Amino acid sequence: MWALANIVAGGVFHAAVLFLVAAGLQLVFGVQKIVNLACGSFYALGAYFGITFITYAHQLGVSDWLILPGLIISGVLLGFIGPPIERMLRAVYGRDESFQLLLTFALVLMFQDVFKFVWGANPRSLNSAYLIYGTITAGDFSIPVYNLLVIAAAIAVAAGFGAFLQRTNYGRILRATAENRVMAEALGVDVRRVYAVVFTLGAVLGTTAGALVVPTAAASLDMAIEFVVEAFAVVVIGGLGSMRGALAGALIVGLIRALSIVYFPEFEVLAIYVIVIAVLIFRPVGLFGRAVA
Amino acid sequence: MTVLLETRDVSKAYGVFRALDKVSMAVHEDEFVSVVGPNGAGKTTLVNLLTGLLPPTEGEVLFMGHNIAGVGPVALADRGLARAFQLIQIFPKMTVAETIAAAVISRQKKRWRMFTRLSADAEIKARVGEVAEIFGLSRRLETAAAALSQGEKKLLDVASAFALDPQVILLDEPTSGVSTADKHTIMQTLIAAAKRTGVKGIVLVEHDMDLVAAYSHRIIALSEGQVLADLPPDKFFADPKLIETVIGKRRGH
Amino acid sequence: MRPHLAAVAVVCGAVALALLPQVVPPYYVGLMIPFYGYAIALLGFNLLFGYTGLLSFGHAMFLGIGAYGAAVMSSVFGVTSFELVLVVVMLAAALIALPIGLLCVRYVGIFFGMLTLAFGMLFHSFLFKFYYVTGGDSGMRVARMNILGLPFNSYNKIEFLAGPFYYYCLALLLIAGFVMWRLVHSPFGLHLKAVRDNARKAEYLGVHVRRFRLAAFVISAAFGAAGGAILGFRVGLADPELVYWTQSGQLVFMAVLGGFTNFFGPIIGALSYILLQDQLQSLTEYWRFVLGAVLALIVIGLPEGLSGLVVDLRRRLAERAA
Repeated sequence: MWALANIVAGGVFHAAVLFLVAAGLQLVFGVQKIVNLACGSFYALGAYFGITFITYAHQLGVSDWLILPGLIISGVLLGFIGPPIERMLRAVYGRDESFQLLLTFALVLMFQDVFKFVWGANPRSLNSAYLIYGTITAGDFSIPVYNLLVIAAAIAVAAGFGAFLQRTNYGRILRATAENRVMAEALGVDVRRVYAVVFTLGAVLGTTAGALVVPTAAASLDMAIEFVVEAFAVVVIGGLGSMRGALAGALIVGLIRALSIVYFPEFEVLAIYVIVIAVLIFRPVGLFGRAVA
Repeated sequence: MTVLLETRDVSKAYGVFRALDKVSMAVHEDEFVSVVGPNGAGKTTLVNLLTGLLPPTEGEVLFMGHNIAGVGPVALADRGLARAFQLIQIFPKMTVAETIAAAVISRQKKRWRMFTRLSADAEIKARVGEVAEIFGLSRRLETAAAALSQGEKKLLDVASAFALDPQVILLDEPTSGVSTADKHTIMQTLIAAAKRTGVKGIVLVEHDMDLVAAYSHRIIALSEGQVLADLPPDKFFADPKLIETVIGKRRGH
Repeated sequence: MRPHLAAVAVVCGAVALALLPQVVPPYYVGLMIPFYGYAIALLGFNLLFGYTGLLSFGHAMFLGIGAYGAAVMSSVFGVTSFELVLVVVMLAAALIALPIGLLCVRYVGIFFGMLTLAFGMLFHSFLFKFYYVTGGDSGMRVARMNILGLPFNSYNKIEFLAGPFYYYCLALLLIAGFVMWRLVHSPFGLHLKAVRDNARKAEYLGVHVRRFRLAAFVISAAFGAAGGAILGFRVGLADPELVYWTQSGQLVFMAVLGGFTNFFGPIIGALSYILLQDQLQSLTEYWRFVLGAVLALIVIGLPEGLSGLVVDLRRRLAERAA
C-alpha cells in the first residue's frame, strides 16, 4: 500500500514539473499559435544552469537551505533568453506553421551543442544537498520535503496563472490576443509586446521547471530531446491551448509513467504514446482543448 | 418540366434558432432561379443545404430525385451539382490551366491516373481550352492564379465550377466585389457558359436586384428563414411591399 | 521547370554522378551511398510535404522499416537478393502506412506533425521493447547481399560500396526519380497540388482530399523504406537511432535546405546536407550548432531553399539577357 503511495508521490512530483513546462507551452501556443519544439531545450538549459548556479553558490558558502529559492532564481534568470529568441521567431510569424516548427527545431540543434560546449558531454548532477529539507516518513512511505515544496510551487503557479488570466487586466489582454489577434490589435493592444512577454514567460516556466528537477535527476544532453515528446504528450492529452489541460495532462502523464515503470516496465514509454494516439483519434481537441481550425 | 433540385418543407434549426423554416422550392430544367433576401434571411443556409453541406433538421433536399443530405462536395460534384463561392477561392500556386484541369480531371474520371502525363492528355487540354475560352481566360492560361486581377480570379473560380460539367450550378453572389460595369459582363458570360456547357439549371444568390430582374426566370425571396415569395420577375417587381422587405427600401427611379 | 530543361539537368547530373568515382577520392564516394538513400527517401517525403502540403515529423520510421526489414530478411531469413528486400520493405512500409495514414490524414498542420511524431516514437520504442529480435540499442545486422543476382565476391565491402553498389544506387535513384516525376506530373499529381493549395476548394472540384492525402502518405512511406534499406545495407546495421524524432527532423531539414517547392530540391538538399555535415564534422565538434544556424537562416531568409536560389538566378539571368 505504501509502495503505491510512494509511486503516486513520485508521479505527482514528475507531474508538477511537467505542468510547469506544459503551462509555458500552452501559453505560447494559445497566444502565439507557435508549437515550440525547443521547450525541451529550455528545460535542459534550466537544469544545467541550476546545477552550476547552486554549485557556485555552495562554494561561496551559501546555506543549503536556500537551494529551493536558489533554483527558482536561476530558472527565472534564464528568462533573459526569451526576448532574443522571440525576436528571431518573429521572422516566421505570418508564415506557414511548418516554418515555425522548423525554426524551433533549428533551435534544438543549436542548443544541443551549446550544452555540449558549456557543460560537456557527460551528465551532470547535484549532490543530495536538497535532502536538507528533510523527508516525511510514515511507515514505508517517504517523500522528501523538497518534492512536496515543488508540488506546492506548481499548484501555486497553477492557481496564480488561473487568477492572472481570468482576473487581471493583462490576463484579459492575453486572452483577447489569443482569441483574435487582429481584433486585439485593432483595439489598441501592442501585440508585439504581448508576444515577447508571453514567450519569455513560457521560457521562464520551462527553465525553472528544469532547474527544479535537478536535485532528483541528472542533466544530460539527451534530456532536451527526450523531454519534448513527454511535454507534447501532456499538451495533446490535455488539449492545446488550455491551462486546465496542462494540469490534467501533466497529472495523467506523470502518474502513468510512475505506475508503468513499476507495474508494466516494458510498456512504460509505449503507454504514453498509445494514450497520445488514442486521444488524437477519439478526442483530438484533448480533454480541455478548444477546436483548432 | 423535370425537377432538378428541390427542397421539401426543409427546416434548419440551431438550438432554438430556426435559420430556415419549412422552405419548399424547386429548380426545373432550363431555369434560372434567383434567391434573394436581406442578410440573415437564411440564403446561405439554404445554399448549404442545397449543396449537401448541411443536413436539414426537417424535410428533404433532393437532387435529381435523390436525397443529398450531408452527401459531401466531392460526391455531389460527381453527381452533377457544382457551387461557386462568394469569397474568391483559388489555388494560389497553380496556373489558370491547372485550376480548370483539376475540375476536368474529376469530370473525366481520371483522378487515379498516376503515370500518364497530364500535359500529354489531349482530351483534358481541349476541355480546359474550351472552358477558358468561354470565360475569356484563354490568354491567361499559363498565369499563376495568384497573379490574376480580382475580376479574373472571380471568373476562374466560376470557370472551374463550370468545368465540372454540372447539371445544376449554384452561384453564391458571383458579382460581389466587382464593379457595376463588369457585373453585367460577368452575368452574360455565365449565361453563355451555361448554354455552352450544357448546364440545365442555375441558382443564383444575389443582392443586386437589377441583375436578378434582368436574368431570372423566377425569384425566390427569403425573409427570416421563410419563403416570402416565389414569382417570376414581372410579378415580383409589381409588388412594392415585397421589394421593400427584400431590399429594405423602395426601388427608386 | 520545363520538361526539356529538366531533362538536360538530369542528364548532366547523372553523368556527373556516374563519373564521380573516377575523379573523386574514395572517401567521398563512400559518402554518396547515404546520399542515394536519403535522396530516394526524400523524393517520397516531398510528395507528402511539397506536393500535398503535409509536414510529417515521423517519417524516419519508414526509413527504419527499410533498414530493419533488410536486417530481418538478410540476417534472419538469409535472403540474398537485394531486389527482393527492396520490394518487400516497400510493401511492408505501404501496408504499415495505411492504418497510420488513415488516422493521421484526418488532421493537418501541427496536429498532423504531432501525430506523426508520436507514431514515429512509438515505432522507436517498439524497436527497444522487442530487443530480443531487434537487438535494442545495438541495432540489428544487415548482411551483405547480391545485387542483380551477382555476389561480387571478388570485391571487399569497401570496394563493393564504391564500385558496383554505387552505380546500382545511382540507377535506383534515377528510377525513383523517374517514377516520382511521372507521379507528380500526372492527373493524380495535380489533384495532390490542389489539396495542398486549397483543400476546401479542391473538394468542390471533385478532389478526394482525404483519400489522396492517404495515397501520398503511403507512397512516401514506400520510398522511405527503399531509402532506409540502402542506408542499412551500407552501414551493415539497422540502428534504432535512425528512427528517433530528430532524424525525422533531419529529413525535413534536408528537404527545406534543398527547397521543397521544387522537384529537384530534396535531392539537392540531401547532397548539400551530407557534404555540409561531413565538412563541418571535420572542422568542429559543434557542427550541430552550425547546422542549426544554417536551418534557421534558410527558414528565415531563403524559404525556397537552394533550388529556389538557382531558379531565381536563372530568372535574373534570363531577364538580363532579354
